[in-house]
Amino acid sequence: MADRDLLRALRQAVGAEHVLTAVEDRLCHSHDATFRDALPDLVVSPGSTAEVAAVVRLAAAHRVPLTPRGAASGLSGGAVPLHGGIALSLTRLDRILAIDVAGRRAVVEPGVVTAAQAAAAWEAGLFYPPDPASARMSTVGGNVAECAGGPRGLKYGVTRDYVLALEVVLPDGTVAEVGDPLDGEGCGPDWAMLLVGSEGTLGIVTRITLRLVGRPAAQRTALAIFDRLDDAAAAVSATIAAGVVPTTLELMDGATLRAVEAYLHAGLPTDAEAALLVELDGTPGAVEAQLRQVDEAFRRQGARDVQVAGSPADVERLWRARRAISAACGQLNPTKISEDATVPRSRVPALVREVGEIARRHGVKMVVFGHAGDGNLHPNVLTNRDDPAEMERAEAAIGDLFAAALALGGTLSGEHGIGCMKAPWLERELGAAGMALGRGVKEALDPAGLLNPGKMFTFGAAPVAPPREPGQTGWHAA
Amino acid sequence: MVVTARVAPEVVRRWRAGLARCIRCGTCRSVCPVLEATGDESGAARGKMRLVEAVVRGELDLTRGMQERFSRCLLCKACTAACPSGVPTDALIVSARTALARENALALARRVAFTGLRYRRVFEAGLRLGALFQRAVFRPAPDGPGRLPRIPLPSAGLHARRLVPELARRPLRALLRELAPLPHPRARVAFFPGCMLTWVYPEAGLAVVRLLRANGIEPVVPEEIGCCGVPAATSGDAATGALLAAANVAALSAGSFDAVVTACGSCGAALAHDYGETLADPAARERWRALSAKVRDVTSFLAEVGLTAPLGPVPERVTYHDPCHLARGMGVTREPRALLRQVPGLTLAEMKEPARCCGAGGTFSLSHYELSRRIGDRKLDDVAGTGAALVVTGCSACRMHMADGIRQRGEALRVVHTAEVLARSVDAAAGREARHG
Repeated sequence: MADRDLLRALRQAVGAEHVLTAVEDRLCHSHDATFRDALPDLVVSPGSTAEVAAVVRLAAAHRVPLTPRGAASGLSGGAVPLHGGIALSLTRLDRILAIDVAGRRAVVEPGVVTAAQAAAAWEAGLFYPPDPASARMSTVGGNVAECAGGPRGLKYGVTRDYVLALEVVLPDGTVAEVGDPLDGEGCGPDWAMLLVGSEGTLGIVTRITLRLVGRPAAQRTALAIFDRLDDAAAAVSATIAAGVVPTTLELMDGATLRAVEAYLHAGLPTDAEAALLVELDGTPGAVEAQLRQVDEAFRRQGARDVQVAGSPADVERLWRARRAISAACGQLNPTKISEDATVPRSRVPALVREVGEIARRHGVKMVVFGHAGDGNLHPNVLTNRDDPAEMERAEAAIGDLFAAALALGGTLSGEHGIGCMKAPWLERELGAAGMALGRGVKEALDPAGLLNPGKMFTFGAAPVAPPREPGQTGWHAA
Repeated sequence: MVVTARVAPEVVRRWRAGLARCIRCGTCRSVCPVLEATGDESGAARGKMRLVEAVVRGELDLTRGMQERFSRCLLCKACTAACPSGVPTDALIVSARTALARENALALARRVAFTGLRYRRVFEAGLRLGALFQRAVFRPAPDGPGRLPRIPLPSAGLHARRLVPELARRPLRALLRELAPLPHPRARVAFFPGCMLTWVYPEAGLAVVRLLRANGIEPVVPEEIGCCGVPAATSGDAATGALLAAANVAALSAGSFDAVVTACGSCGAALAHDYGETLADPAARERWRALSAKVRDVTSFLAEVGLTAPLGPVPERVTYHDPCHLARGMGVTREPRALLRQVPGLTLAEMKEPARCCGAGGTFSLSHYELSRRIGDRKLDDVAGTGAALVVTGCSACRMHMADGIRQRGEALRVVHTAEVLARSVDAAAGREARHG
């Protein structure tokens, strides 16, 4: 029986203890940070590039789908094994291979936790800026696969901007080096960039060379309250027009402020329409000058109040509201669905208002916060996943949200990726030609369609492997 | 048949309410000592919540495989504290363990032990016998206090190199009867020593008594109190947990005390909070509510009433380990440090992540000894980083686990209870020779 052969071969390739077949373990690998579930048939955790290649070759030979995963903290269903098969866990590949201070780069395996990598760089005197909210658990491999961003994206960009080179196991099991570990400037097209954000549909990344930058010498934080949302948006534009690029420019809408205040009782105004949290970094002189410019621009645009942190304790105090959002939302409704949509910066107020309209229309609670500096907002639906009717309304609201973002000239994903959660709207963003191009690339690299099937360009496609009979236990019985 | 049909509806309702909060973000993965040591997705709360969800949705039975995975939790509450959505992970894990134990029964050794726990006199007689027979089963450690198994029994958590302390021949309560009452006490408190201070570290129990009395506080150990019930309740034996809780509440409510003082985070958190869940009988729960507000860890009680006894020098470099149930169960982290800082000559050097679990996890260290040691090694590395010669902590299970690890690593560190350091300081001021610590 082919399945038993595969199981035996996999155990030989990675060690029996790294092939999980128990239903309990499969359940624990059936999801990411969304509510989408699909049970893998097997969980395989290779310990080296050679082992990854061996698993990929075996999956190809047996025509078994393979879905890679790191910490599975993604928010678009990227790591959900939609078509079953093998959940390929890369968390054992967790070595930081080098922090090259002179060359300003880090070489890591994909299972290294983002924050651990950033901390190692920091200890070496360098700085890795991308800081997704999930950095404490997410892996660098997952960040590359989803092209993760974070609040610092405004000034420092997203994961893509730090990838110099990748080692990748291609769908046929060959191992390729793409990009250039020296300066990222490869010969020919930038193949590494093709893989960043490809969500494991084109290859399995097994080693990553990241660009690091110098540590900023100084940092300042300020929080401003605006009576009117439009004023806050104008303040963001005025700041950037004045030539100041803050590290972080976080917006919280009125609904968010009211939720947080009800939870924290920190004296946040509940009648304000928006708050902006600003962080600046750079040389001490430049930061002070920029802080004055920001303060001026904000006040000129009608800020009710601008508080500047004078001490590390102050910084914590100003961030307190932003950090309390999740807990505060949990008081309103148990389940918080974090969405991600980006619009041109000038359309931020329009999207916030649109969200309010969508929430009313569907009878759901929604709050909006996010990275106003680059228009990447996180509208959140506060619902109850124990209540099917409410979840249905939440899903309808999310559909409308994506449509609204696209109608405002925006994009489906700021930093969460497409996966299966946003794939239904992908064609609306890319158009028929864009979809055809994407499908063409996928077919060229993965003709059998075994890598992370059902995501992005293969969303809705029929499963490649013939579906097993219901009740048939297949290889787990072995 | 859907398995939840065999679980009480109010339990299923609680599971559903807790699960509705879990957004599967995986924050628990970043703080879970078990996940860090094993890499298993089922180690952290998110995996465990997924399994409870599978049971609720009828995708999974309450299997032995699930029970095995649920046993791999230290109940250190790190995930509960870190969860951005407020999922009561600790309570859900205990509740699932209870359902799993009903379905599959607990391992025989635990069943026998918890049944023994129900009957204080049987339990105490057992321990007295244990103290007697300890010499037959264990040999004295060649290089210090404590004993090593003569015949290793890894299945009972007794590994060849494992150090276990000597059991006391007489419980603390008996020793206390010999003390004369204080003439004009500032307060009269019930001291709940728990099993560890009664049987395993009576010197620490006596240090609590000496320290309280030196500060004008009269401690009384009520006759009928027994085990707090945490080991049984958290393993899934809810019935034994409820019986013990009810007996303790009755015993502590009988007298009139200004406070109930504990010197163990697990006992204290149980008396102050968890009994609300453990107690089955509504009347007992009502009595407990009045009692719960009076429960204090010895350090927070002393910090509250203030030290009146003069403190003498303890010239030691120490580091303080926050027991999970004292820090996250009772919220006591500042008080022990504040008291230690008052001791002349003592230097308190903080370790990295002092509130990270030491790996003991109560009965966890018996059933998963190797894993428990691996987690403990990280703690001892952090301790070593401070250059301290003495580890101070408020939990005897942490103490036992760290002392065992220290011996296996061949280190010269000692572990003592916070009360012992403070008592030593009081003794030094009174010109008495320090007896302990």
